[in-house]
Amino acid sequence: MIKTRTWIVIIAAIAVAAAGAILLIRFFGAPGTTAEIVKGGEVLYTIDLDRVSEEYEIEIGSGDGDRNVVTVKPGMICVSSADCPEQICVNTGWASKDRPYPIVCMPHDLVIRIVGAGGEADAEAE
Amino acid sequence: MIKKIAILSAAVFTALALYACAPGEHTSDFFAMDTYMSVKTYGVDAAETVKGEAERLESLFSVTDDVSEIGILNANGRVEASDETIELIERALYISGMTDGALDITVYPAVRAWGFTTGEYAVPSPEKIEELRSLIDCTKVTVDGNTVSVPDGYMVDLGAVAKGYLGDRVRDILKNAGITSAIADLGGSIVTVGGKPDGSPWRVAIRDPNGDGSVGVIEVKDKCVVTSGGYERYFTDENGVKRWHIIDPATAEPADAGLLSATVVGEDGVLCDGLSTALFVMGAEKAEAMWRKEGGFEMILVTKTGDVLVTDGIIDSFSLSEGSPYELKVIG
Repeated sequence: MIKTRTWIVIIAAIAVAAAGAILLIRFFGAPGTTAEIVKGGEVLYTIDLDRVSEEYEIEIGSGDGDRNVVTVKPGMICVSSADCPEQICVNTGWASKDRPYPIVCMPHDLVIRIVGAGGEADAEAE
Repeated sequence: MIKKIAILSAAVFTALALYACAPGEHTSDFFAMDTYMSVKTYGVDAAETVKGEAERLESLFSVTDDVSEIGILNANGRVEASDETIELIERALYISGMTDGALDITVYPAVRAWGFTTGEYAVPSPEKIEELRSLIDCTKVTVDGNTVSVPDGYMVDLGAVAKGYLGDRVRDILKNAGITSAIADLGGSIVTVGGKPDGSPWRVAIRDPNGDGSVGVIEVKDKCVVTSGGYERYFTDENGVKRWHIIDPATAEPADAGLLSATVVGEDGVLCDGLSTALFVMGAEKAEAMWRKEGGFEMILVTKTGDVLVTDGIIDSFSLSEGSPYELKVIG
């Protein structure tokens, strides 16, 4: 039979450890500016833009007229080319920590959204 | 002693847990009205209601849906419309009168002919442009009770005011749900309820028409911020001229009045939405004259010559981006 005192000490220790873990994750281990590439409501890729060291491309789509090429650079992401009619996704340009606004390709049901970034503002009028 | 340890550690843990996740913040995003929308509220999660409202209005106003009220009007030249469609048409016609026709809800055949609905861009022939011009005149739209009719060949598109109407509805919905702090991005049209949870204003960036960044940031509470510009939907014609989707009703050609973007800030979503398009068509000089005459809104105009013109009602809430190549000028 473990005494109540011992239980309290164990619970307190766990609480303090958990609090410490939260602090550590928040200040040291937490992902920074994260981009989510969402197609058809499904998150296909989650990219921590702060941890990108080299530029690379991701091709999205089944190849059946719904192609978007996404370019990822340190801290930034954009749709660099697409076979959609209006090219609005390409014309939107880069999204980043400072510019954490969504890049949208309506015809291909594709959104690149930035999470976890402060940015200069809460939204962008466009 | 043991009790103290228990209470203290529980308190520390609770405080940190609250700190780790912003309390009561609800964010969600969805596609509606042919655009991408996101809503952030504090306290109550109202995203589903907002999405439902956007879909309901889309079913009334959509120009690409054959069975929407506008779709039926365009197919048959006549429709028995709901009170809301009538209200929005009448408000759009009012803004058209106020802007001397710079906003015109019958511009759709021209938008289509230039390829802005399909992406099959083409500069129409001079004969075709002449014909298109004869199909643009919203004073020919007649509203009799709940019956709307247009002459043969005319088409109505409420796209220039529909998101503003949704914005007004969204603000009402959120306020009625008891929400005092929210921001909604309705496809680039921003609606705010109150300020941020800490009481400070919402910060809305204005897109730089010449680049990836922003021209500046406007701080608002309980306001709509709507921008019209030619930097996202455009093509370059064979002479190297950028042709964008905002059509001047007077010429049936893309508007070219010296502006790269026009932003309207105000409380009335429909007015902000309709005016942002109209001001882009009118250009800075006429826009300024109308602002003096009518009032009820504030504006931020970005000109081709590198000026950012801001009306004095919001100049204290506006800040130009650091290192901006633009010159800030006050209209007052």
